[in-house]
Amino acid sequence: MIRLPVICYSFLVARYSNEYQETSNEQPATSNETMTQVTDDIIIRTVARILIPFIQLYALYVIMHGHHSPGGGFQGGVILGASFILYLITHGLEEAKIRMSEVKAGLFSSFGLLIYSGIGLLCLILGSNYLDYGKLSAILRVIPAQARSLGILGVEIGVGIAVMAVMFSIFFDISTGGILPEDEEGGQEGR
Amino acid sequence: MSNFFIYLGMGLFSLVFLCLYRGVFGPGVLNRIAAISAIGTKTLVILLLMGFIYDRVEMFIDISMVYALLNFIGTITAAKYLEIKREV
Amino acid sequence: MEVTVLIQTADKAFEILEKAREEARELLYSAAKLTSEAKSLAEKRETRAFLSGAQQSRVALRNFAITFLILFGFWILLSGRFDYFHLALGVICSLLVAYLSYDLLFFNVRLGDFRIRARRFFQSAPWFLGQIFSANLHVAYLALSPKMPIDPQILRFKTKLESDISWVAMANSITLTPGTITMDIREGEFFVHALDKKVAYDLNTGEMEDKIAHVLMEADHVYIQDVLDVSRIFGALK
Repeated sequence: MIRLPVICYSFLVARYSNEYQETSNEQPATSNETMTQVTDDIIIRTVARILIPFIQLYALYVIMHGHHSPGGGFQGGVILGASFILYLITHGLEEAKIRMSEVKAGLFSSFGLLIYSGIGLLCLILGSNYLDYGKLSAILRVIPAQARSLGILGVEIGVGIAVMAVMFSIFFDISTGGILPEDEEGGQEGR
Repeated sequence: MSNFFIYLGMGLFSLVFLCLYRGVFGPGVLNRIAAISAIGTKTLVILLLMGFIYDRVEMFIDISMVYALLNFIGTITAAKYLEIKREV
Repeated sequence: MEVTVLIQTADKAFEILEKAREEARELLYSAAKLTSEAKSLAEKRETRAFLSGAQQSRVALRNFAITFLILFGFWILLSGRFDYFHLALGVICSLLVAYLSYDLLFFNVRLGDFRIRARRFFQSAPWFLGQIFSANLHVAYLALSPKMPIDPQILRFKTKLESDISWVAMANSITLTPGTITMDIREGEFFVHALDKKVAYDLNTGEMEDKIAHVLMEADHVYIQDVLDVSRIFGALK
């Protein structure tokens, strides 16, 4: 059963990579601008600057209130990643690197996965099933219902961090083509 | 009152189809982006009306805010992409 | 004959020597002056850097605190739960976001006159709403009339507003008014697309610009600067 999606995926990849190569052969890039440059539009820059803290706080709200209202780790992580993407495309690569770089994104994605699997394994060590938070009450010293709530909160924080980092690094890779400017320079110097 | 919201939502829903026509057949990419952004704002209002109908506004406000944010960021990203490519 | 020539040449030589000595003295003086000036300038720059460093850290701390308060208010507005657990979560999240982006919210804003600004905003909000309402009716008339009497045009005008935040406020209120859309701002020059002549005329009267300058206190700034200039000239005359 698993063969069908794999075939479809490889077919799509082959097709789109061929198309991309054809178009790139026909029309070389007209300008040196990239997605990760500072915009010269002052409206977009100012509005993004004012909006970004509120977007980030809203993302954290969606993550933290996942067990009361719609949303949760994945949705909050998407919004948090979108805020960083907005900063990247409005303020440019140089400034965005101070807040979130690709190395940091990789670290954060691993860290989020560590939180998620760590809580799951903790339940396993305490003698119940994987991600069965009821047993966490022994550590947290609360009743099992509250322990379940706190455990879900922790797992959602982990999922949110991982989703944010992975979304950011996917956008980063697509927009820079996987090649950073200083990497190019360093490589040329090395050769 | 609930009937009023239902009819309002149905009217907006029929307007979404007009925008969808522009999005599918519209000449050029810019028309499509504008149409999708307009569909996004209409969906936001329809979501809020649904919240009023089901008496759970506080829940639907969260969803509609997420929708508005992602619509905004998506439109800006598409506009910047078109600005770079310089071919519409 | 030869003696007079000799004396004349000797005189000339002495003159040249005198000139050279004077030039050398002037050079020495100017060099000494330049070194002392450079030294004093470097000292001044050091003290200024020291002072501005202290000021910058204080401004950063103030921005951090105000951003935290605004974000915590926003959290309470969103959450609507007042038990200790959720409030503690709100404090942690607001601190995190304020730490991440304390320099984003207040980048180029003067803060001292916030109350006056808020009062003026609420005073002039009905005018903006009325403007939007009347423009709405006009655009609906344009769209629904069968002849479609539109006359699209691009206006280009220089504004007297100075800071970028007031440019953005101006651009957003132009875009919010139906029939006009701000296309671009290039160094204080607005490019506005207007749907018809009446809308363009309403924009060209500059009433909206005056209102925004009043709300964001741009005019007061210019006014104070004028007074300072006049007082200096008056003092010089006296």
